[in-house]
Amino acid sequence: MHVVILYLGVLLQGGMRDVELTVVSSILALMLGALGAIGRLYGGRIIGGAIYWYVELIRGLPPILQLFVLFFGLSQFGIDLNPLSAAIIWLVAYGAGYAVEVFRAGIMDVAEGQHEAATALGLDRKITMRKIIIPQAFVAMLPNLTTLIVLQLKNTTLLYLIGYADMMYQARLGADATAQPGPLYVVVAIEYLVLSAIISRIGSSMEKRAAAYR
Amino acid sequence: MSNEVVVKVRGVTKRFGDRVIFENISLDVHKSEVVAIIGPSGVGKSTFIRCINHLHSFDEGTIDVQGFRLVGGQSPSKAELQALHNSVGMVFQTFNLFPHLTVLDNIVLAPMQVKKQARQQAIDRAMHLLAMVGLQNRANTFPKRLSGGEQQRVAICRALAMEPEIMLFDEPTSMLDPELVGDVLEFIQRLARTGMTMVLVTHEMMFAKEVADTVVVMADHGIAEMGPAREVLESPRTERARSFLRRVLNPVGSPREPNLVANGGDDR
Ligand SMILES: Nc1ncnc2c1ncn2[C@@H]1O[C@H](COP(=O)(O)OP(=O)(O)O)[C@@H](O)[C@H]1O
Ligand SMILES: [Mg+2]
Repeated sequence: MHVVILYLGVLLQGGMRDVELTVVSSILALMLGALGAIGRLYGGRIIGGAIYWYVELIRGLPPILQLFVLFFGLSQFGIDLNPLSAAIIWLVAYGAGYAVEVFRAGIMDVAEGQHEAATALGLDRKITMRKIIIPQAFVAMLPNLTTLIVLQLKNTTLLYLIGYADMMYQARLGADATAQPGPLYVVVAIEYLVLSAIISRIGSSMEKRAAAYR
Repeated sequence: MSNEVVVKVRGVTKRFGDRVIFENISLDVHKSEVVAIIGPSGVGKSTFIRCINHLHSFDEGTIDVQGFRLVGGQSPSKAELQALHNSVGMVFQTFNLFPHLTVLDNIVLAPMQVKKQARQQAIDRAMHLLAMVGLQNRANTFPKRLSGGEQQRVAICRALAMEPEIMLFDEPTSMLDPELVGDVLEFIQRLARTGMTMVLVTHEMMFAKEVADTVVVMADHGIAEMGPAREVLESPRTERARSFLRRVLNPVGSPREPNLVANGGDDR
């Protein structure tokens, strides 16, 4: 058991780094995802098509391959990213790809009648989006957004492969040093479970509040 | 009703893909005239009135609304659409209130965003409109908490808040429970008496007879008959209009009379 006590400090520190990364990358991914969804829906053939293929790429390629291309592949061409930059860029790029689809589904879920009513009142497209469609789409897609953020959290486990010192990385170090991987991985598992439970709780309380009008 | 034509429809044809919905429709709506459009379901009534405020484009012909011209196959500029939507209000079968906004915010949104009214001014006007339909105490309620009849009256207030010259109604009472229909029709009738120009798709034949100046019967991709309300409804000249009216006025197996206007008449 004393392995756990020995490593608990660094594991918690690693966990904090995962949390930070999840929060930062999720915020950026959601902002880009919202823009991407609007571009996909209303951007015309070229912009919409480009975003479509981007999403296909993100969803179609194995995460680990994407990460390795970014970190190892680019360095061959003289672009050397440090683990933190590579981690953030990949998480944002990956999350945004999924967020585009979540937002797009949410926007399309808003009834056609809402667009008609807004148009008939003379509201332009920007105001209609901002005041009518996005607020309703947001409520409809909150469950999917929660899932997306949990996915981002779980994706941080991959980052130890490029040397980013997160919780998983510390556990690997400890497991190699002590030859007692069991207890350390259990601690990591518990940390991840607690963190995703917290995300889900925040998500469902937001859902309840946002859907008060329903 | 005056002689001034405010909506002039000429030779309008609408297709969805290859399918012709209606062909070569022409129609004049005069200032303060109430035009009721009736006809079997699926004939294109909703599609037609949506062409008037360009919620649908159309393929051929022209529609002049108060000096703007919509031309089949061409898209109007943003500024033209803006002006069109400023002068034409619309009420939908399914109300289409914004569910995430309170009754009051539903009504003040467009005046504030489009007409740039100050919030207080918009609120004053909204409360005045709500008071007309006895809903001033529901201003801070979300639409879902209202009955269908109340929602529809709010939707009418929302359209009126933009001070339109012309109002379009697409079967405003057909989603309502029968006991809620009267209040909504009564409000529309009051509006007609103020001289509002209205184009109204309806299944309420008695209401059409009472309130409309002109009745238009749509059938088989076009207008089957059009004329003064009583004439068309009581003694239709064409066989298509006759057969439609026979069906709606004496539905097989239903002894119920068509809906009468609640308190309709001249007691107000
Ligand atoms: N957006 C659309 N795309 C394709 N077909 C449509 C669309 N809207 C309506 N239609 C078709 O046009 C016809 C007329 O519909 P509608 O105007 O709603 O009839 P009504 O209001 O008289 O019942 C129907 O056959 C309907 O299926
Ligand atoms: Mg219809």
